[in-house]
Amino acid sequence: MTDYAIEADGLRRTYRSRTGWLRPQIKEVDAVRGVTFTVGKGELFGLLGPNGAGKTTTIKMLNTLLIPTAGRARIFGHDVVAETREVRRRIGYVFGGDRGLYDRLSGLDNLRYFAELYGLPPREQKARIGELLELVGLTGRENERVEGYSRGMRQRLHIARGLLHRPQVLFLDEPSIGVDPVAARDLRQTVADLAATGTTVLLTTHYMAEADELCDRIAVIAGGELRALGTPAELKHFADGRRVVEVEAYGVGDDVVARIDAIPGVRGVTLETVGAAQLLTVQSESDVDVQGEVLAVLDGVRLGRVSSRQPTLEDAYVAIVSGKPQDADPQREKVAA
Amino acid sequence: MRLLFVGGLYAYRALFNWAGPAMFIGTLLVGPIFQLLFFAYLGRQLGIADDGFYIVGNAVLAASSLCLFGGSMAVLNERRFGTLGHVLLSPRSRAITWIGRGLPYAGNGILVAAFTLTVGTLLLGLKIPAGAWPGLVLSLTSAALACAAFGLVLGAFALRFRDAWLINNTAVTLMILFSGTTVPREHLPHWMTVVGDAIPVTHAAAAARGLVGGRSLAEVLPDLGRELLIALAYAVLAGVLLKVFEAESRRTASLDVL
Amino acid sequence: MSTLRLIAVGVLMHVKMSTRGNFEIATAMIVPIVQATMAVYLLRAADSPHRMIEAAVGAGMMGVWSTVLFGSGGAIQRLRWMGTLEMLIIAPRNPAVTVLPITIATGLTGTYTMIATLGWGWAIYGIRPEFAHPWLFALALPACILGLGMFGLLMASTFVVMRNANALCNTLEYPIWLLSGMLVPITVLPGWTGPLADILPTTWGARGVHEAVSGGAVLPAVAWCLGISLVCFVLGAVSMSFVERRARAAATLALS
Repeated sequence: MTDYAIEADGLRRTYRSRTGWLRPQIKEVDAVRGVTFTVGKGELFGLLGPNGAGKTTTIKMLNTLLIPTAGRARIFGHDVVAETREVRRRIGYVFGGDRGLYDRLSGLDNLRYFAELYGLPPREQKARIGELLELVGLTGRENERVEGYSRGMRQRLHIARGLLHRPQVLFLDEPSIGVDPVAARDLRQTVADLAATGTTVLLTTHYMAEADELCDRIAVIAGGELRALGTPAELKHFADGRRVVEVEAYGVGDDVVARIDAIPGVRGVTLETVGAAQLLTVQSESDVDVQGEVLAVLDGVRLGRVSSRQPTLEDAYVAIVSGKPQDADPQREKVAA
Repeated sequence: MRLLFVGGLYAYRALFNWAGPAMFIGTLLVGPIFQLLFFAYLGRQLGIADDGFYIVGNAVLAASSLCLFGGSMAVLNERRFGTLGHVLLSPRSRAITWIGRGLPYAGNGILVAAFTLTVGTLLLGLKIPAGAWPGLVLSLTSAALACAAFGLVLGAFALRFRDAWLINNTAVTLMILFSGTTVPREHLPHWMTVVGDAIPVTHAAAAARGLVGGRSLAEVLPDLGRELLIALAYAVLAGVLLKVFEAESRRTASLDVL
Repeated sequence: MSTLRLIAVGVLMHVKMSTRGNFEIATAMIVPIVQATMAVYLLRAADSPHRMIEAAVGAGMMGVWSTVLFGSGGAIQRLRWMGTLEMLIIAPRNPAVTVLPITIATGLTGTYTMIATLGWGWAIYGIRPEFAHPWLFALALPACILGLGMFGLLMASTFVVMRNANALCNTLEYPIWLLSGMLVPITVLPGWTGPLADILPTTWGARGVHEAVSGGAVLPAVAWCLGISLVCFVLGAVSMSFVERRARAAATLALS
């Protein structure tokens, strides 16, 4: 029998869309291009990547909502395409956002309906629903209509629903998106507790900190491809041998970024907007001090704080995601774990 | 003038939800044909009026639902897509802008009504005197304009109150009842004929029936005149309502509320 | 057993869903009432005598069809917008059994329509609901609704893959009213429409209800309605599985 809870083998998914009806043009988008990994039983596995990386597509191929264009996937040994009903018995699915619940029904009615749908035996339903409401902290609010719930409460109801039939594998797609920090922290605690009881959890997120805190192993996906795979500690090594220069600036344009990128020794440049200012992060080889040259390029631009530091996991993530796939980095052999 | 036509045309393309051909053919062309057939055969079954009554009446009616929905959609979709604020802030004459919005729908309505008339006559064997066609085109045009104006009025109400589609659906069904195109006016209670006199389609349909029955254009001109008057009245009403609601929403900040 | 329970619970939940919106209730009642008014005047103007009760019941039937048509055809689209379609499909169930409660619920909402038109007819036009076979009416109406609900599954399963099913819904309203003689039986239609009408469950359901009102053989009509609906259900179930798989391949289960 299989030792793995989830096996993804060369999964590919191409989306085809037609635009216009007089002269239809068919557009093909390769959302996922050959993703392969395995998840062990009871593991808390993270799929990390920027928006549009292919995380949701990957998770939907694994939970039977999408048929892969190529490749195969198995949940506890059952193929997702050939044995769909068997797979669905063993999985739960939770996704972030406002939709996905029957707004005009109460939380309790939602759970009752889905309990019936997911095959929870009738005599167990009441107890199980009570248990789950307790777990996610919605006891006392279950008779209110979902349309009155906050985003955080909806998320918790989503999770309760996903757990009704005691799935062996739980798929969580960006569960804390749009949820306030306090509620998000509670959510993460719930997820961690779940994994501790033996449920295999596959989580997608673009919050680095969340993945770092929760996951046993993380797969970084960008552009539809698996760029790195390993424990958080292993992934930090992607930023090994680098230094990071951070510059607070005002009014930096793309041309300036390109010139900084062109400086010899610079491995990557990112620009993000933080409040009224911009944060320019320059990663370079550790034996090259590029600070002076960066400041020279920024001559004339209003600057704030300038600092130089060791890389963090976040920098590792940036390095992985912004690096080109054919980057010859010795640590990349981890991909085929 | 340019604002009237070009502005309206762009808005039309951008906002007309029924852009795909399937939607277009299904809702706008085939639907009215079936409606026509339903009433024509019902009329035959019950022995109420001849085919001509139903064909002509329903063809004119066919323009109605389109223009009605089109008119209100023009107003509502601006709100839904969040562009309403921009449109109302535009310094150009509001009235012209809104009328420009309604025109393309009216044009579409004419096309649909003409199609229905043609197919109806082919399928059910009605004969239309050649001399009646110019007058018929006029009737269809005036009905379409009146319906479009009425649609704008409904759209204005829908801006202010919610559940717009209920208003629209009910309005179309009421129009079918009051306009004397399905139940001949002599069989309706008096108050209903009074209401019918004040809504679009009634007079244009009467004119069209007259023309098909052999009357001359000059004879049906009074009816056409009434229809155009109704169109004007509703257009003005729409303009007034929109101004009123716009002013109100500036006071109560309800403009961006969906 | 669990399948029946699922259908029961599903119907209950979806009826709750659809009857808690003012818009839905109003649409289910207001437009049919206007149609009932129209029917009253049409039947009064007819050259042969008709019992006015036929107007009220006929308009009610037209309303039931509209509710089922737009409800079933539009249900999948609504589920997609609500984001719940995926959560339903991911259940370890035959998709037909998942969707059937929804279409049956649309038929049940049609009961509001029938009650509204009958009530309106009585209150405004003094049309007393005196049926030739009152008990059979109480049987024929639910049977008709059940039949239409099963027919709704066939519609729903063919609308699932289309992104704009509304076009089809709009087009099918009048033809069925006409072919199935929902307001009054139409004997003046061309002969070739006869066989076409006879295979529609709507024809038999309407006939059963009308005959319960004005006298005639109710039970055979009801039997035909249910029988044909069962066939439609089977076709719908097959179609549903096929279509669900296709939706998963073409990624049309969700909006994005």
